[in-house]
Amino acid sequence: MSDLRLVRWTAVGVGVALGVLIPALLTDFLRTLAADAAIAGLIVLSLVLLTGMVGQISFCQYSFAAMGAFTVGSLVAGHHWDFWLALLVGVFFAAVVGVLVGFVALRLSGLFLAILTIGVALFFDRFVLAAGNWNSFSGGLSSWRPGRPSFFGIGLRGEYAFYLFAFGVLLAACLLVWNLRTGKTGRVLRAVRESEVAASTVGLNLTAWKLTAFGISAALAGLAGGLAAVRVGSVSAGSYDFLHSISIAAIAIVFGAGSIASAPAGGIFLIFGREALIDWTPFSTQWFDVILGAGLIFQLVHAPDGVVVDIERRITRRLRPPRQMPSESEQRSPERVPAEVG
Amino acid sequence: MALLDLTEVSIRFGGVQALLDVSLQVREGEIVGLIGPNGAGKTTLFNCITGVLRPDSGHIAYDGKDLAGVKTHRRARLGMARTFQNLQLFGRMSVLENVMVPIDAFSPGTPVGDAFRLPTARFEERKAEERARALLYFLDLLDVADLQAGDLSVGMQRRLELARALASNPRLLLLDEPAAGLDARETAALADVLFRIREQFKVTMLLVDHDMALVMRACDHIYVLDFGRIISEGPPEDVRDDPEVIQAYLGEVA
Amino acid sequence: MILAEARFSLLPGLTVIGIVLGGTYALAAIGIVLIYRVSGVLNFAHGAVAMFSTFIAYQVSVVSGLPGWLGLLAAVAAGIAMGFIIERLTMRPLAGKPVLTKVVITIGWLIVLQAAAALIWKANAYHRAVKLVSKSGFRLTGTSVVVGYDQLTTLIVALVLALGTAAVLKYTMLGASMRAVADDPEAARLWGISVNRVTAASWMAGSAMAAIAGVLITPLITFDTFSLTLIVIDAFVAALIGRLTSLPYAVLGAFILGLVQEYPTAFTNNSGMHEVATFALLLIALAVLFRPGSRKLRVA
Repeated sequence: MSDLRLVRWTAVGVGVALGVLIPALLTDFLRTLAADAAIAGLIVLSLVLLTGMVGQISFCQYSFAAMGAFTVGSLVAGHHWDFWLALLVGVFFAAVVGVLVGFVALRLSGLFLAILTIGVALFFDRFVLAAGNWNSFSGGLSSWRPGRPSFFGIGLRGEYAFYLFAFGVLLAACLLVWNLRTGKTGRVLRAVRESEVAASTVGLNLTAWKLTAFGISAALAGLAGGLAAVRVGSVSAGSYDFLHSISIAAIAIVFGAGSIASAPAGGIFLIFGREALIDWTPFSTQWFDVILGAGLIFQLVHAPDGVVVDIERRITRRLRPPRQMPSESEQRSPERVPAEVG
Repeated sequence: MALLDLTEVSIRFGGVQALLDVSLQVREGEIVGLIGPNGAGKTTLFNCITGVLRPDSGHIAYDGKDLAGVKTHRRARLGMARTFQNLQLFGRMSVLENVMVPIDAFSPGTPVGDAFRLPTARFEERKAEERARALLYFLDLLDVADLQAGDLSVGMQRRLELARALASNPRLLLLDEPAAGLDARETAALADVLFRIREQFKVTMLLVDHDMALVMRACDHIYVLDFGRIISEGPPEDVRDDPEVIQAYLGEVA
Repeated sequence: MILAEARFSLLPGLTVIGIVLGGTYALAAIGIVLIYRVSGVLNFAHGAVAMFSTFIAYQVSVVSGLPGWLGLLAAVAAGIAMGFIIERLTMRPLAGKPVLTKVVITIGWLIVLQAAAALIWKANAYHRAVKLVSKSGFRLTGTSVVVGYDQLTTLIVALVLALGTAAVLKYTMLGASMRAVADDPEAARLWGISVNRVTAASWMAGSAMAAIAGVLITPLITFDTFSLTLIVIDAFVAALIGRLTSLPYAVLGAFILGLVQEYPTAFTNNSGMHEVATFALLLIALAVLFRPGSRKLRVA
């Protein structure tokens, strides 16, 4: 056990050090990409929470992100609010939308939740964010241009400063999700996923806990959106559409929604993978999606838990001594009913 | 006054009358048995009592309060706990976690406390773990506390369900075929476990089982259910000699 | 949401468009239902298959200038091929795995086909629709409503294929096998039915219908890779109204959806109302499907 912890915290330490140091050596352009990767990592993290912990699937995480982004854009650029206050409101709005979606999703699971979330994503794309409907929110044809804030007096205008800020937010969020997962919340949510009947019979309010999970997940995505708004400096609907949502879900599944490490890994892969494809190969960005989709298919046919989870499991197996069943002459349990996903 | 009081509870699924005018009382401190052939409606009755199913007609009162419209998790808070015939453990969670979940359900901690590891959350966590370990010790499961629940033998899984049910400190314990899948030795041991539970936790029990020996030995009062209707009730000796019971149930087994 | 003055005079014309649109949705929905009933998988790549096949038709008829019917034929062939590949390579190896895994795989196919088509035919470019029948039409007697021959053809093809599928399921050996596999694959196997072959057949037939739906719908909607891929949602809504299993109700649902999408045009200039209508119907369909006490659906 202690070996495992040592390896885990060493890995985290090395990761953080590299995350701080490497971008210091990079060009400003690559630093903006690194910030984008951190932001995308936040959205993967929101899926680690929803899919990995609760077992609920979502193809509308970028719609939640859009709530954060457009709230920040509208309040900061349109109404001259302070960024931090606007970010808070944006995260709150995202959480509210998340809870609303969660409310509809209460009775649904599996396939039907997938349909619902795709419906939500399209509704956002084509109605909520479409020019002409809620221009005071979406900015209409001219997109919002919120400026960069400062963080306790430190300006975030510089790309390295902003990157460090985004990276810090991602780390803090990962830590919070880790705490949730190892604490009561994680235990309760896993129990709900394992058996809803048993969970409610022992006194858990399924409705409240599922809505909580949707709310937190959407809040994380909303936070990502708020950061993206000031990272890019403009907010446009095309950056939050259905295809983004579906790609990030694919990434969460390929890397494995069961592990928090998938968040930074997925973020880096999404942003730098695309970039590497353009820079170092004759292929265009669209090839990235072909590869991603093919990766998803291949992954699910061969190792359904995800790459990161698979690697972690291998390491864990090596470090943790195999446990023996206490010697009892009782028969093994009959084959357990496979966990229902739908 | 009975702790649990069912009056004329009926429910039907499509064309099948699963329960018809079932009336049943469980007094505080008793172990009441409910027997009947397969498909007699025993599990359906449990589902009605715990609020998983809503009866078409009739009343279910607990501690003098009508339970109509009270959700399953609220009933747990009133002091009801149950085990499942078809084992509903949290299979991919550890044995210890399985017992901690009901304690979590009653603890005041919120996700905020968890996320920031507030001292209160850590205190609750430690308290929950201690209590869960004590329960595991009581049911002789402490050695396997860190194993996955799904990897245990059936006998251990049944005991784990008991531990989980007791974790919420219930007044009324509903046991759905706790002896199913157990061999004769384990079944005999189970009766002792139930007596120990009653003694230690001062808990009232409603026990559903096929195993006549267990029910006869453990229960103070027995109801017999057949095709959704109560066909006999009384102390174990009386029920055993009731010709209708022998016809419907014992005859089938013999 | 600006409410324009209600223009009731538009309603008859919108009815025609709505019904024709509904006919294409019906075709797509039949494919969804067919695949779902036989294999238990909800095919999220259905729209992507339709889109890719339609672009094959576009390549044949518009780019290469061959006749429209040849394009349609090429599209159907492409659809069948895709259905075969998806089933054979990525569904069959997963027999016995959770259905959600297979469903997510179809989402992988959606991403692949969508991105590949965007590569080949440019995502946001203007594409001329495949022309099957002349655009001229006739006036409905006693009204000012003009019905195009292309619209009429679309509707007739949709209805014929819908009825045809129902007849095949009901009266042929293949249909009987499909129903048997849908009800109980194990029992079907005991009856000597090749479950694999029947499942493959349902994927190929369903995908062929997606292809036809795609080609027929292009004159009615924006013809680009993304919009076409998304007709999967319209097909889902229609299929959900049929509880994912009933062909007649799915067809009915498709027509309702087509009309509900078109009618708002009479009352508002906002094109987003189309999406609002779809979303509202989706929520209603899901709510009805999952009203308390009706959870005995075959859902994995």
